[in-house]
Amino acid sequence: MTALILDHVNVDFPIYGAQRSLRKVLLERATGGLIGRDEKRSNRITIRALVDISLDLKDGDRLGLVGHNGAGKSTLLKVMAGVYEPASGRVLTRGRITPLFETMPGIDLEDTGYENTITAGMLFGMTREEVEQKIPEIEEFSELGEYFALPVRSYSAGMITRLGFALATAIEPGILLMDEGIGAGDARFAERAAKRMDDFIGRSRILVLASHSEALIHSTCNKAALMKAGKILEVGRVDDIFNNYHKLMSTKL
Amino acid sequence: MNTAEQFNSELEPLAITARQDCLAGLRRWDVFARLGWFEVKRRYRRTIIGPLWGTLNLAVFILALGSVGGGLLGKNMSEYLPFLATGMIMWVFISTIISESCSLFVASQNLFRQMQFSYSTLAYALVWRNFIVFLHNIAVYFILIILLAPHLLTPWTLLAIPGIMLIILNGVWISLLLGMICLRFRDLQQLVATFIQIGMFITPVFWPPESLNGIRRMIFVDLNPLYSLMEVVRSPLLGVPATESLYIAAVIVTVVGWTITFLFFGQFRKRIAYWA
Repeated sequence: MTALILDHVNVDFPIYGAQRSLRKVLLERATGGLIGRDEKRSNRITIRALVDISLDLKDGDRLGLVGHNGAGKSTLLKVMAGVYEPASGRVLTRGRITPLFETMPGIDLEDTGYENTITAGMLFGMTREEVEQKIPEIEEFSELGEYFALPVRSYSAGMITRLGFALATAIEPGILLMDEGIGAGDARFAERAAKRMDDFIGRSRILVLASHSEALIHSTCNKAALMKAGKILEVGRVDDIFNNYHKLMSTKL
Repeated sequence: MNTAEQFNSELEPLAITARQDCLAGLRRWDVFARLGWFEVKRRYRRTIIGPLWGTLNLAVFILALGSVGGGLLGKNMSEYLPFLATGMIMWVFISTIISESCSLFVASQNLFRQMQFSYSTLAYALVWRNFIVFLHNIAVYFILIILLAPHLLTPWTLLAIPGIMLIILNGVWISLLLGMICLRFRDLQQLVATFIQIGMFITPVFWPPESLNGIRRMIFVDLNPLYSLMEVVRSPLLGVPATESLYIAAVIVTVVGWTITFLFFGQFRKRIAYWA
């Protein structure tokens, strides 16, 4: 049984080095988190990025995060990934978390594709042997051929994307967190990638996907959460959430 | 919260403690060893003798300063060169760890902002790569000692190994502590750089500690934590065990440093991602 539970989570971002004028600008900003002051030290500015978030996800849940820029989608994903520890509230998990915000963590252009794949795989929590086992598959799928043994510096942008995609989708995801989809490069590759992506998402037990693409969330998620100014307004069926999202957008204009 | 109640016994908090962080980093020794080794490897890609450039650089420095310093202090070369070489090798090892610590977290934000990261991994990687560089540099010592003073190689020389372990142990807390403070207060990096520069002259690296006495000796030699760490390796390398008081001083530095770091890390570990 896999589970991911958020219990009244609040997140504040401190802003260091903010001048008075910047503070004013921030206060006047329409979107984004609420800007407040640290209770103990009144001269420190904080941005309340997430407000009282509670979520209860278990096996089979595919949650889409919907909301405009600055609503807190990415921050929420990073809290679920364990990058940011909440200022208050708890995050409880059962199962391995795979945050796919970047497909090749620790990438270095001087290292070869092979070396980077091993490093990234190990940073994703695999042992060296586990990555080595997946190497033939990654090498084949990314279509890098001889380039696999050359420094990444010699790759085209598309080649790096393909390698990242091939590696990321070779992981056993558990609880999968994604900010937008994973880039797949040119049209021909994208077609092959779509099938592999489906399979990859299918293997995950829980998926949380933040996206502006209605089509992507429709095709991958079985529920959605509407976010605004760091709050989750409602969780429900994807259709209902998008209806309310469009309403929210039109009232704002 | 029905799921929470249902699986309460099986759920684990996502947040990890300082202790869990330090242990998780150690358990994934393959990760920190790889990160550390690749740093060394990258720095010298497309060069012919690789990391040995640093060693060669150090050797030239030692020979040049050795001939001037030997003259100034009125010592013969076969006595002064091994003293200077061991001092410089240890100083480079310790001071590079300290100065690189300042950018430990500043430079690797792209790693720990992507996933939950055991921050200690980065500290271990830093110390590991400096240890690899040290293993290159120590060649200068062996060459000099075999050519000039083979009688300095005694059974006591083996005591250098626990000394190096002490330095490594200290390197980890220094990296974590300075890494955190320099991430939060970016000015500190410059301050540490200044301190390191001066440190080389006020620590007995190329002048013998006996040449100072009174209050000066107490400040720059006896109470200098860098001297005690350096000396627990240098003395054995010169064929004599370090004095008991030096070991006591080095152990005190280790215990106090780790205690402060552990408390600090425990308190502020979760702020690291926010400070970045």
